[in-house]
Amino acid sequence: MPWRESAADLDRARAERPIVVPSAFGGLVGIYTPAAPDVPSAGLCAVLLTRPRSHRNRMWVEGARRLAAQGFACFRFDYHGTGDSEGPTGPLDPNRPYRDDIVTVLRVLRAQLGGRRFVLCGACFDARTALSAFADEADAIAGLMFMAAPVVELDTLVRVDADRKDWGHLARSLRNPYNWKSLASAGRWRYMATVIGRVARRSLGAAPAGDPPLGAAFVEHFQALLRSRARALFLYGRDDAEYESFRIAERTAFAKLTPEQRARLEVEVWDGTVHGFLEMKRQRETFERALGWIAALHPARAAAPARTIPGDATPSAVAG
Amino acid sequence: MTTQASVAPLDRAPAPETPFFFPSGDRPLYAVHHAPVAGRANAPVVVHCHSLGVEQVTCYRAEVLCARAAAAAGFPVLRYHARGHGDSAGDFADATLARLIEDALAAAREALRRSGATHVIWLGVRFGALVAASALPLGPPAAGLALWEPVQSPRDYFRAQLRGLLYSQVAEGRKPTETVDDLFARLDRDGAVDVHGYYLHRALADSVRDVTLARRLETWNGPTFLAQIEQRRSLAPAHAALAEALAARGAKVETMRVPEEPGWHMVANPAWTSPELVAATAEWLRAVA
Repeated sequence: MPWRESAADLDRARAERPIVVPSAFGGLVGIYTPAAPDVPSAGLCAVLLTRPRSHRNRMWVEGARRLAAQGFACFRFDYHGTGDSEGPTGPLDPNRPYRDDIVTVLRVLRAQLGGRRFVLCGACFDARTALSAFADEADAIAGLMFMAAPVVELDTLVRVDADRKDWGHLARSLRNPYNWKSLASAGRWRYMATVIGRVARRSLGAAPAGDPPLGAAFVEHFQALLRSRARALFLYGRDDAEYESFRIAERTAFAKLTPEQRARLEVEVWDGTVHGFLEMKRQRETFERALGWIAALHPARAAAPARTIPGDATPSAVAG
Repeated sequence: MTTQASVAPLDRAPAPETPFFFPSGDRPLYAVHHAPVAGRANAPVVVHCHSLGVEQVTCYRAEVLCARAAAAAGFPVLRYHARGHGDSAGDFADATLARLIEDALAAAREALRRSGATHVIWLGVRFGALVAASALPLGPPAAGLALWEPVQSPRDYFRAQLRGLLYSQVAEGRKPTETVDDLFARLDRDGAVDVHGYYLHRALADSVRDVTLARRLETWNGPTFLAQIEQRRSLAPAHAALAEALAARGAKVETMRVPEEPGWHMVANPAWTSPELVAATAEWLRAVA
């Protein structure tokens, strides 16, 4: 069902105020939602990342107001070159996250609004940008909600995703007129050539080449997360192309975690997809899981909340 | 046709931009006031009426850059988020044409108050064109009307949305189990249909059942700019008919074609913008006032 604004949500909406964060690219425009004064404070500021800042179906607007009603201060903002913010616009690459933007925002929230501990939340590029903040501000981050982001370079992601396709998949694709139409794009030709090449090599019995490398930026920022004391939830859909890349991280970086690190980092993999938020039922499930996970970081929540893992989906691994 | 000015996208605000909240009815709405660069006396204030639901998001950056271009040309601008949209309060489920008009009129009053202008130029984007056209005769004196790929018939607009939903299912290799008429029947029965992660609500559809843009502009004969954003070699019949009807009433009408098909329901990376459209809109503003 669609979000219906409650009295508490409206109360927090009335308390919101715009903040312009000075940055190297110009002003970054965001909305600060103060924690409700009549509930116990979480002592945490949740920063909800995406562009434009409201997110699909206004998820981060609803999220900020609901979390604020539970005692979290919240902030959502436009990266440079997006939404209301200043700065040059360019294509976003998860392997080149906007680390300067998020670090600048955290420091302004600390200096001007008294935020000392933060929870960061995002999907895809926004998840990678949230993770990148650990390189500079690890001690100030209490939690990371990391959804459906690639963790290898994008050209590697295409190859990794192609390796789960077969001739049957290609045959079905070629029956789809939309795919023929899309071949007008040179990029689509390159993609198709990569997929066909990978499928053909496997058919001819070529040995798997082993895991491709994780993205260098991911490795650097993930190591910073490991050195921190923060908790994190990594959430993917089994059918997400991005999950194929994350499986490499599970086999490599996650396999080396110490018990202490393993206790802090959770991984959930749901049936179907998480990436995209284009279907309402899954959008709401994902959103509620993210909000529930953040809300559970409230010191007053002594016991972890009941998991809201949807339907028949089961976590492939849950630690902590 | 509009002269194409060469205006680079404005990465920086040419003059102060102030984000703020203002009331409409009993709810706070978010807005940004773009102060103008000094030098144009008695300039009208440009008030943007954004499109509906996800289209408010997909057109957002283009509107921001247009507001900066207008401010650089000496026009104050006010962009706002209608109720149930963006950072404003309210439920999208409660949005109806009447309520969207109420928000547009509140925004126009706020725009005059902040800018000191006495006249408004309305800029309506897609569904926002219906809102602007409806607010125009009810609000402060209007000095012009700009329309970006305006929705001429809401019924056709919703039909195209639902058709796009089914098309995307085909593109994903799924055979749709419902037709567009089935989806309309479900909208009537259930009150809402999920279109790419946004609900199309029956209350909104019902509120515009008999509305067309042409009828809403039956008494308008002021300066008008109509930008078509479609992969067509000529103006679409509905756009051409509207331009002809306005011109027949004595309106000075300028049209332009932007031969692009933005994914209105998908957020592009980077966000869709059109420097040509922004430049032409700013050029038209300069010519109007």
